[in-house]
Amino acid sequence: MPRLVTAFVLALLAGLAQADDPASARDIIRRAMDHYRGQTSFSELTMTIHRPDWERSMSMRAWSRGDDESLVRVVAPARDAGNGTLTLEGNMWTFTPKINRVIKVPSSLMSQNWMGSDFSNRDISKDTAIIDEYDHRLLETRELDGHRAWVIESIPHEDAPVVWGKEVLVIRDDWVLLEQQFWDQDGELVKTLKAQEISSMGGREVASRLRMQQADKPQEWTEVVTAEVEFDLELPEGLFTLSSLRNPRR
Amino acid sequence: MSGALAVSARLAWRNLWRNHRRTLIMLAAISIGVWAMIFMSALMRGMTDQMVRNGLRTLPGEVQVHAPGYRDDPSVANSMAWPQGALLSALQQPPVQAWSARVRVPAMIASERESRGVTLLGVDPASERALGSAPHADEISEGRFLEGPGDDGIVLGAALARKLDTGLGKRVVIMSQDPQNNVADRGMRVVGLFRARLEGTEELYAYTGRQPLQALLNIGDEISEVAASAGDYRHTARWAPALVSAAGPQLEVKTWRELDPYLGTMLRVQDGFSLIFMVVIFAVLSFGLVNTLAMAVFERVREIGLMQALGMRPGAILRLLLLESLYLLLLSLVAGNLAAWLTIKPLERGIDLSIVAEGMAMMGLGTTLYPALAWSDMLFSTAVVVLLGVLASLLPAWRAARLDPVQAINQV
Repeated sequence: MPRLVTAFVLALLAGLAQADDPASARDIIRRAMDHYRGQTSFSELTMTIHRPDWERSMSMRAWSRGDDESLVRVVAPARDAGNGTLTLEGNMWTFTPKINRVIKVPSSLMSQNWMGSDFSNRDISKDTAIIDEYDHRLLETRELDGHRAWVIESIPHEDAPVVWGKEVLVIRDDWVLLEQQFWDQDGELVKTLKAQEISSMGGREVASRLRMQQADKPQEWTEVVTAEVEFDLELPEGLFTLSSLRNPRR
Repeated sequence: MSGALAVSARLAWRNLWRNHRRTLIMLAAISIGVWAMIFMSALMRGMTDQMVRNGLRTLPGEVQVHAPGYRDDPSVANSMAWPQGALLSALQQPPVQAWSARVRVPAMIASERESRGVTLLGVDPASERALGSAPHADEISEGRFLEGPGDDGIVLGAALARKLDTGLGKRVVIMSQDPQNNVADRGMRVVGLFRARLEGTEELYAYTGRQPLQALLNIGDEISEVAASAGDYRHTARWAPALVSAAGPQLEVKTWRELDPYLGTMLRVQDGFSLIFMVVIFAVLSFGLVNTLAMAVFERVREIGLMQALGMRPGAILRLLLLESLYLLLLSLVAGNLAAWLTIKPLERGIDLSIVAEGMAMMGLGTTLYPALAWSDMLFSTAVVVLLGVLASLLPAWRAARLDPVQAINQV
């Protein structure tokens, strides 16, 4: 009974706007993930890694199917061309043409940087894990440039393989993920993934410029600019396999 | 005969105190020598003991059973089944006092900011405690140790927690691999921090419950190793063979001497070294002893000649002089042993060596040295002193016994 009263008071304080329904918060994230991955997707992107004393860019192509399968291949610069990363159900393999070897990324390296960027291997291989491994709560609904945006706080389950204390996601009502904040367990912001440009591509609104920014190092960030993206296209069988990682067919 | 012996004994005792200053100096010299022997070997024994114990703690277990490939590749793929049949019954009866089965895998621990490689031990706290390999209650600096094999909290070393920028009550992610090389990871809450004498130990080991780790690694009831102890690490050879035959050819049973040859060698070196050390100290002292006795003989040439002229046999003279040196040795031994006991006992609580902590850590030692007084060392040094002392005094005594009475009496 007292819990009901508390809930009622909280709902009042929240502005009587919306019910605090965890299922709906989870659904919003699910929709947002589906929105930017689609059933299948193909994209061409450029990743820029910025550090105070240097900066470098890589162009790459990426394919994905469902939550668990993705393939990324570097096309430029020539030095890195051909490097590829395949993820299948949380496991990750890399291919380097220089040594002509497929290497399985051991679990010990999953928290390391992916290709020197501010994304970790885990960010790349398990980006949809947030849906099932966290408890989600709708914090507030904002008005933003004529859109509604939901702010969702996601707290990892006790045994989830997640180091963060919480993540905060801002998702627009057309399912564009505007911002994803990573907080430590002391309540300090560690890094933020932020959509800096949103454009219409492949028939959808997508965040075409995403920046991962370390909170305590303003001069260090990684930016991913999407040049082209297609959704729900027909992908060849055998694209997400080790042999395809080693021998690119397209 | 016994009457003659009593006379010799009384004569020897009186002779000893005729030049009491010289006797006292010699007594002091031998006492200090004996004291030094025992004290040094107590220090060395304490050092080696500590080194071996530290090694065994981190090994841990005096005898370990593994799957054959485990020692070359300590991965989860080389797990073994839970002990059964003959091995189980051999583990459950004396002389084995305690045994424990654990999962031991290399893993990464990640916090928000750092990640580190560790050896993750999935343990059964009760049996590890019986084995003495779990951190003791006074080594838990914060929180608690695991409560049971199903405890899914994690206990980290204090130094590791500092490096990871995490702490008690926070979650960390552990990452390892299952036997099929798939990533196995999950979050675990830090329920306790432990301290070890060596910072390296704190950074190397993390403990969690055996069952959650088995579930994470997808290995059912399998384990990485069985460790057993029979109390005294020096005598594993006596009971290890029984385990070898009980384990059968599918498993590898090794004693700590084989698992860590360095430790085993250290122990042998120490034992050998303390013998050499004692002999060297006493070799130096024996020159003093020989000199004293030679002087005593030289002074008393006339007297010895007279005794011979009065009918004392050379054997009796030899006995007299040997008895004199034996008295001297025994008195010094009593004094030296007593002094050693008195100085070592108060130090057994530990000598603080934190000034040279780094050097000590290099040798696998903590900052406190605990001298260990062993009865065997005291007995051994006593034996060395008596044996070498009597041997050293044989020469002057022998010469005295061979004196020609006429020449001796006529000597000025």
